[in-house]
Amino acid sequence: MSRASRRQYHARLRSALDNRFLGQTLARFQNRYAQARQAAMQGVDFEALSREVVEVKDAALPRLEELYGQFKAAAQAAGAKVHLAADAEQARQIIADIAARAGVKSIVKSKSMTSEEIHLNAYLESQGLEVVETDLGEWIIQLRNEAPSHMVAPAIHLSCSEVAELFCGVTGQEQDPEDIASLVEVARQQLRRKMLSADMGISGANFAIAETGTLATVTNEGNARLVTTLPRVHVALLGLDKLVGDLDSALKILRILPRSAAGQLISSYVTWVTGAVECAAAPSGAKELHIVFLDNGRLALSQDPVFAEALRCVRCGSCANVCPIWGKVGGHTYGHVYIGAIGLVLTYFYHGVEAARELAKNCLNCQACKVNCPSGIDLPRLIKGVAGRLNQQEGAPLKNQLMRQVLTNRRLFHFLLRRAYLAQKPLAHGERLIRHLPSFFTGEHGFRSLPVVAASPLRDRWPSIAPPLAEPKLKVAFFGGCLNDFVYPEQGEALLELVRGKDIQLDFAAEQTCCGLPAAMASEEETAREVARQNIAALDAENHDHVLTLCASCASHLKHAYPRLLADDPAWRLRAEALAAKVIDCASFLQDVVGLAALPEGGPKAAYHAPCHLCRGLDVHRAPRHLLAEAGLEYLSYEDEEVCCGFGGSFSLDFPELSAAILARKLDQVEATGAEMLVTDCPGCVLQLEGGLDQRGSSIKVRHLAQALAEAQRRAKD
Amino acid sequence: MDDLIALFTQQARAVSATVEPVADLAAAFDYAARLTTGQGGCLAAPGWGEGETESLAEACAGAGVELVTSGLRQEVGRFTVGLTRAQYGVAETGTLVLDSADEQVRLASMLSEAHVAVLPLAKVRQDMFALEEELAAILSASPGYMAFITGPSRTADIEMVLTLGAHGPRQLHVLLLEDAS
Ligand code: SF4
Ligand code: SF4
Repeated sequence: MSRASRRQYHARLRSALDNRFLGQTLARFQNRYAQARQAAMQGVDFEALSREVVEVKDAALPRLEELYGQFKAAAQAAGAKVHLAADAEQARQIIADIAARAGVKSIVKSKSMTSEEIHLNAYLESQGLEVVETDLGEWIIQLRNEAPSHMVAPAIHLSCSEVAELFCGVTGQEQDPEDIASLVEVARQQLRRKMLSADMGISGANFAIAETGTLATVTNEGNARLVTTLPRVHVALLGLDKLVGDLDSALKILRILPRSAAGQLISSYVTWVTGAVECAAAPSGAKELHIVFLDNGRLALSQDPVFAEALRCVRCGSCANVCPIWGKVGGHTYGHVYIGAIGLVLTYFYHGVEAARELAKNCLNCQACKVNCPSGIDLPRLIKGVAGRLNQQEGAPLKNQLMRQVLTNRRLFHFLLRRAYLAQKPLAHGERLIRHLPSFFTGEHGFRSLPVVAASPLRDRWPSIAPPLAEPKLKVAFFGGCLNDFVYPEQGEALLELVRGKDIQLDFAAEQTCCGLPAAMASEEETAREVARQNIAALDAENHDHVLTLCASCASHLKHAYPRLLADDPAWRLRAEALAAKVIDCASFLQDVVGLAALPEGGPKAAYHAPCHLCRGLDVHRAPRHLLAEAGLEYLSYEDEEVCCGFGGSFSLDFPELSAAILARKLDQVEATGAEMLVTDCPGCVLQLEGGLDQRGSSIKVRHLAQALAEAQRRAKD
Repeated sequence: MDDLIALFTQQARAVSATVEPVADLAAAFDYAARLTTGQGGCLAAPGWGEGETESLAEACAGAGVELVTSGLRQEVGRFTVGLTRAQYGVAETGTLVLDSADEQVRLASMLSEAHVAVLPLAKVRQDMFALEEELAAILSASPGYMAFITGPSRTADIEMVLTLGAHGPRQLHVLLLEDAS
């Protein structure tokens, strides 16, 4: 069963990747969004505003039932009728009943993700009702019989000419395939007529204010105002998670929502409706207003210790806008109804295992969504959490079982790594990269060459290259990490070259093992905890000034994941925190602790790739670029410097087609800079970038930051 | 005060609103009447006081413009300009706050091609939070309908290209009223 669904999912990914127009549209969208967002965030403290949203939401979520009661009382006092639907079916039924009782024939809708969630249109149509979406993007996809591909911009996967063709059919008239303004005009005229004659309007809502029983809707087109004003009956459908206590809470969310959604300071219209307002079209002279709240798992979710924070989502869509995967395939393959990172989480809770199974694995853990989420949701962690639950329910894949056995047993693990050297030897033909993979690995996986495991790992070389110092001024615990230790020992050697003569002692504890990130990525939390304890014991942070690693992913995992993984373990929690406090990345260490002498200009032209776990995981941006420039390299920048390279550890094995596509976008930009060297500070990124450039036959050399700097020093000495 | 108005003006213009100072209501009415002349000749102006409606009617007569003040559902498609009075302005975002509990006000401000809103200078505040009490007062009217309006209606749903005039007015004119007496 699961193999068939995997095959199908990969086929859909493939066809999305093969759609050239889609790729271009999404790339353009992501670029424009990034610029607009940056401009809209100018002069505001995103973190502070986001913290306020978190506070507001975290105050509301544990007491949704109470807020619902309060809202209901206030709204009913203002003449509304308030309903609570336990699930999608009930919600559809409630709305169909309202329509039947009120003798409704035609319905106009403004945008509501909640109505998408319950597949409302299809049901109402099956009841013989005419349903017309009035948000331009929603109308377009309704006419095409498609689902939205984005929560804010539902038709963003379509070109102007496709829309023109569609509107030709609607109007029976030729449409200029390049004239967007005239297409908007067609929609304005067609939909104005529908709105004026409809019996019922259905809207969503962005907030429900418990204190006053008010619904607020945020739109740009103005259709929500017309849909809530013109027809005699108004049904608002919204999730219980939209409840907030008071106006102040709503304003706090409103301050960041449009900035985050579209790079706007505020949307054109924010509409606040309290109760059954005047309506000349209604027989009573007052609107018939029904407010339908949908539970569909929300109340249970709001009590979940891990996943409750998913309900903080304010549906800004930003987690799709910044996601490298969404940017390649769009929302039809990267989401179910809810799209992007939050879609990967909510699908499991709202639409079940079948819909969620393949989606939940499809995440690079690049953290881009997390740092951009105005609601402070740790999306990649929740995505891994969903994948973990799916493993529990359906049985973990074989690789997880192997991982449990191998990773927790350091001797066995390292024995296997050493054996890998012998196994790879015949494939490498004496080179450092394997260009042609054995046949069971070809096809999708051939986009990058793979490095060979080194003949002797860094740990074996250490005693001879880093002998103990008599009276060091600093003692640093060095954490190798698997790639650095067993595949790229030369990176560690370069580091030692840079600290030589600085009175800094670097200790390599032999008992250290894999940091455990691969286990966490595979949702094997228990394994991740076990290796965390082993490493904490081995590294002995209490007796060192710093814990240094050349791998940004390891650094971020040691620093952020260890304290979280061991939070409930009284014996280890404090040690995990002590270690976390001392973790330092290569660039910060070289710049702030070691201090390197500036070198004359004239070094190679170098582009830089910022590892996800360095720039977002550790918030380090300036140090590596500064070090390169100080060492005399000519630093050349490009747009996507801080976008993921597509590696993501085992992600690149599970989704080679996506990994390749994301890598290609990066390498195209790097090549366009004219750089001779590509520098980064994570061995995982080195593997991906070097392998990809090698397959392209490129002459650009890939270097770890430590290597680039050591080479610069050598060059300066010559 | 001047800074607030400057900020409001800048922000409203940044989202394609037209912002003009007017000395008094008479000037505002003239502006609306003149604008309507060029836009089909029928002005919807509900929700004004008796005396105000009278002087507006004069301005309209002078400009050869028809004035409608109620029953706007029957006039849809005839009136092209809607004239309303905004309660507050928010400088930070260039936003108007319009109490729209009166259905006629909603129709005039939504179904017109151009929406002209008169905003007394003294009612402009720095941000939403500086207006919180006033907004709460409007919200506490039950039933009620309050609108924040920032620039004309817009969409970017096709290829992310910004286009004005999706479903609401294609133009928004904010008349900053110096003498609100
Ligand atoms: S999860 Fe965060 S970024 Fe994604 S839509 Fe929700 S609020 Fe926006
Ligand atoms: S972590 Fe990266 S790949 Fe995963 S959902 Fe977030 S942005 Fe997308």
